[in-house]
Amino acid sequence: MVKRAGVGFYIFLIIFVFLVMFPFIWVFLTSIKPQGEIFSSFQWFSSNMTLDNYASALETRPLLMYMLNSFVVATLTTIISIIVASFTAYAVTRLPIRFKGLILGLVLAASMFPQIAVLSPIFNFVTDAGLRNSYLGLVIPYITISLPLAIWILSTFFIKIPLALEESAKLDGATPFQTFRKIIFPLAAPGVFTTAILVFIAAWNEYLFALTINTDDRWRTIPVGISFYQSQYTVPWGDITAATVIVTIPIVVLVLLFQRRIVAGLTSGSVKE
Amino acid sequence: MKQPKKRRFQLSERQLGYAMVAPSIILIAVIIIWPIMLSAWNSLFDYRLNDPAKAERISSLSINLETYADNRYLVYDTMEDVREAMPDAGGALDDITTALDEQHETLLNTDEGLADRYEEVNTMLENFQPVNDEELRLTEVPEEWADGFANTLDEQTAAVQALREGAPEEAVQPLTDLESQLSNTQGSILEPNFVGLKNYTTYLGDGRTWTAMLNTLLFTVVTVGVELAIGLAVALLINRVFIGRGLVRAAVLVPWAIPTAVAAMMWTFLFDGQSGIMAHYMAQFGLIDDPGALLSTGAGGMFSIMFADIWKTTPYMALLLLAGLQTIPRSLYEAAEVDGANKFQQFISITLPMIRSAILVAVLFRALDAFRVFDLIYVLTGGGPANSTESISVYAYKLLFEQQNFGAGSALSVIVFLSVALLSTIFIKLIGSDLFSGRLKQ
Repeated sequence: MVKRAGVGFYIFLIIFVFLVMFPFIWVFLTSIKPQGEIFSSFQWFSSNMTLDNYASALETRPLLMYMLNSFVVATLTTIISIIVASFTAYAVTRLPIRFKGLILGLVLAASMFPQIAVLSPIFNFVTDAGLRNSYLGLVIPYITISLPLAIWILSTFFIKIPLALEESAKLDGATPFQTFRKIIFPLAAPGVFTTAILVFIAAWNEYLFALTINTDDRWRTIPVGISFYQSQYTVPWGDITAATVIVTIPIVVLVLLFQRRIVAGLTSGSVKE
Repeated sequence: MKQPKKRRFQLSERQLGYAMVAPSIILIAVIIIWPIMLSAWNSLFDYRLNDPAKAERISSLSINLETYADNRYLVYDTMEDVREAMPDAGGALDDITTALDEQHETLLNTDEGLADRYEEVNTMLENFQPVNDEELRLTEVPEEWADGFANTLDEQTAAVQALREGAPEEAVQPLTDLESQLSNTQGSILEPNFVGLKNYTTYLGDGRTWTAMLNTLLFTVVTVGVELAIGLAVALLINRVFIGRGLVRAAVLVPWAIPTAVAAMMWTFLFDGQSGIMAHYMAQFGLIDDPGALLSTGAGGMFSIMFADIWKTTPYMALLLLAGLQTIPRSLYEAAEVDGANKFQQFISITLPMIRSAILVAVLFRALDAFRVFDLIYVLTGGGPANSTESISVYAYKLLFEQQNFGAGSALSVIVFLSVALLSTIFIKLIGSDLFSGRLKQ
């Protein structure tokens, strides 16, 4: 099946990529149009390009604040869940404990449950603990999403590390924890990093908890913040498209830099080797 | 031989293993399993945050000491105002005080330690501290007392009304306040709101729930089906060596990595009847009657959310399947070629069986994601027009947070949970061994 590609193939490829990217292209082209043209014409290119929409997007709502909030919450979530998950993944794939199937099954089940099913108790809990409108108020529920994901992906990376390395470390007198810290963890570093990217993206994108728990405008995360650009009576498409472009850029950069790793992480969950 | 050195205390491998697993298991139990059980428990109550008498789960007739103490203070305070404005009402007010005090004494005697707890709550209120401890705030009360208390309040309210007839003008406002405070005091008695399975029977008998359920199922089946078909086609086409692979991969990953809410916002713009280019072109090509039809009709709304989801997820599906395709050894195809199998036969008898598990896993995760769809619909159509695109999660969210009906909302979220559990059980029966192989050290 693996064969060289012809011209027809590249034409197909260009069309495919164009279709996938079309919404972004159109949103970008709209964001540099003057207000009037957005509502009056469907011309692709405007003759009077302007950055007014960008200025307006940053003025009407605290967009950079939203991005900072998302960044802090996603980073904290990633750090916590990676630390906890790597212990578990190591124990499940490497150490002689019982009930491994049960533990992985529990993790898998936890990754499948719908967020709406835990929303109201978690909301009550976060409210009682006085954590509404804080970073911690989101980090705690985000662990529900990220921890099962991280354990599941990390375990596929850990299992690939040759057992021989570990055994020789053991012969040299290393304790199991030393083996984990000095041998396995560094060797698994690429896998850990991949997992971290996926967890980060998942936390960055979360909407439901962020919508209900951090309702104060100053504490909103980016997905929620963007969805509130729309007011009840007017839809400021200029602002919205500009804001969308601004928040999309970090993601495009992330994906361009780490596409190989992201693919490795995504497919490790589904492909048997 | 190594020198036997002094060993510090350390765990055996097995103990270390359990210690390493423990934090995850505890976290999962505390923030997933326990909340799900609480949701199930909440769903058995008529539990509404916006109704003070139902804002807690009460399984037996109780008194809310916080509101009771609060109102008691207000009642006595207002009576002072009345006394000042209307000196000749002294006698009537003394009667009210006596009657309320009598009830108060009886209440404090119904339960040992109640007087202390009342004192504690009262002190907290005086210091402007919220009473968050349910044990302290809520106390069961006997039914006779509650009835007597209600009667007394009614009588005293009537007495206040009588006083207001012919009261001097400056006393009217305090008297009106006093009247409403007396009836508020009645609100500190909480009727049990345990309703058993009533939330379930009500909402399972409700058309809107079933519409939401059917919408969710339709959305899941159509999007996952289309995503699988197109994703497989794309994966087969790009499963070859070509220039610019990394770039294509990145382009494909961007829609997947964008927050769903942001993607939904973009599509709201593209589908918009006035300035949306998708709506514009679809109307021009005669696919829809007028550009507004996409977001203002039920069918148009359904099409919109499905289209947006398919756009966002098909590339990701293609990627997963591509990874599966790349694990197939080329020699299999070469052998098939020698045996004279054509491309289609090769696809049916080599490709499909070889990527079976990749397909099943991809479909499982996608189907579960699609079934609990929330943000895409909530941002893109808000469930409208006329609830025609409402998914079961969106409906549950609206009950929970827009109507503040925690009982009914929890019942629906338990229904979503059970459906997802059923769906995953079926899938895992099909692919269980494939999922776990390669993840465990036997």
